[in-house]
Amino acid sequence: MAPTPAIDTQFIDELTAATCDVFRTMVFREVEASTPIVGDALRPGANVVGTVAFAGQTCGLVVFYSTLDAAHKITASMLGIAPGDVNGELPDAIGELTNMIAGSFRTRMAHVRGEAWAISVPTVTMGSDFYTKYVSDVQRVLCPFRMNDAELFVELIVTRSAAQ
Amino acid sequence: MRFLVVDDSSTMRRIIINTLNKLGHQDVAEAGNGKEGLDRLGAGPVDVIITDWNMPEMSGIDFIRAVRSTPAVKDTPVLMVTTNAAKDDIVEALKAGVNSYVVKPFTPDTMKEKIEAVLAR
Repeated sequence: MAPTPAIDTQFIDELTAATCDVFRTMVFREVEASTPIVGDALRPGANVVGTVAFAGQTCGLVVFYSTLDAAHKITASMLGIAPGDVNGELPDAIGELTNMIAGSFRTRMAHVRGEAWAISVPTVTMGSDFYTKYVSDVQRVLCPFRMNDAELFVELIVTRSAAQ
Repeated sequence: MRFLVVDDSSTMRRIIINTLNKLGHQDVAEAGNGKEGLDRLGAGPVDVIITDWNMPEMSGIDFIRAVRSTPAVKDTPVLMVTTNAAKDDIVEALKAGVNSYVVKPFTPDTMKEKIEAVLAR
């Protein structure tokens, strides 16, 4: 069996730039990107996971991971309220955040590669001690970000690309 | 000046309303989809409509088509705020009757510029 090809660095660069841009403009917080981790060796310890699928010449998923505490801070910042006042708004806020990261990533990829993708509505999973397993061969890269003392992750999972 | 913000995401409605408040616009009504948006318009006039594209019940595009075919509100300026940024999407929105287009994520300066542009028409 041929080895699974690595994800093009252009995908990783554009996803990182899209994430930083969305946080700066819509969360009103700066995030600092760290070195991306290829493969699925690291499983983020997250309580809140936002997912948006995309399909076109390239198909896959954009997945946002956060702790519950960080998700509260993100939600509060987006809404312009105190973290202690967040009450039920968290799933919608994390869904919208993931939607904007995926949407901005799609727009950037359309500009740099001319690819046209459709994206799904976001889904948000909340809980603990869970892991998403993909049945088919996929390429994965996990992009870590730091927002003050909180660690966040955005994962790109490619199930089919134009290069394959 | 009265605004109507139509978006199924309560988070995005709040972000847009906060942005409008920062720009000095305090009179803002809101709706969760196009159908609710039409109901709001029936309750009283608004000066600018800001709508999302992808919504349940009635999409932003169908909402705008309905607005443009309703004599009492057909000339209301409409600004679309969406992640749909492909050229074909923008053309479809303009054909449906959108006056201007804001791609998410956006800054308050972009929102201000687009509002001024649709009001100047």
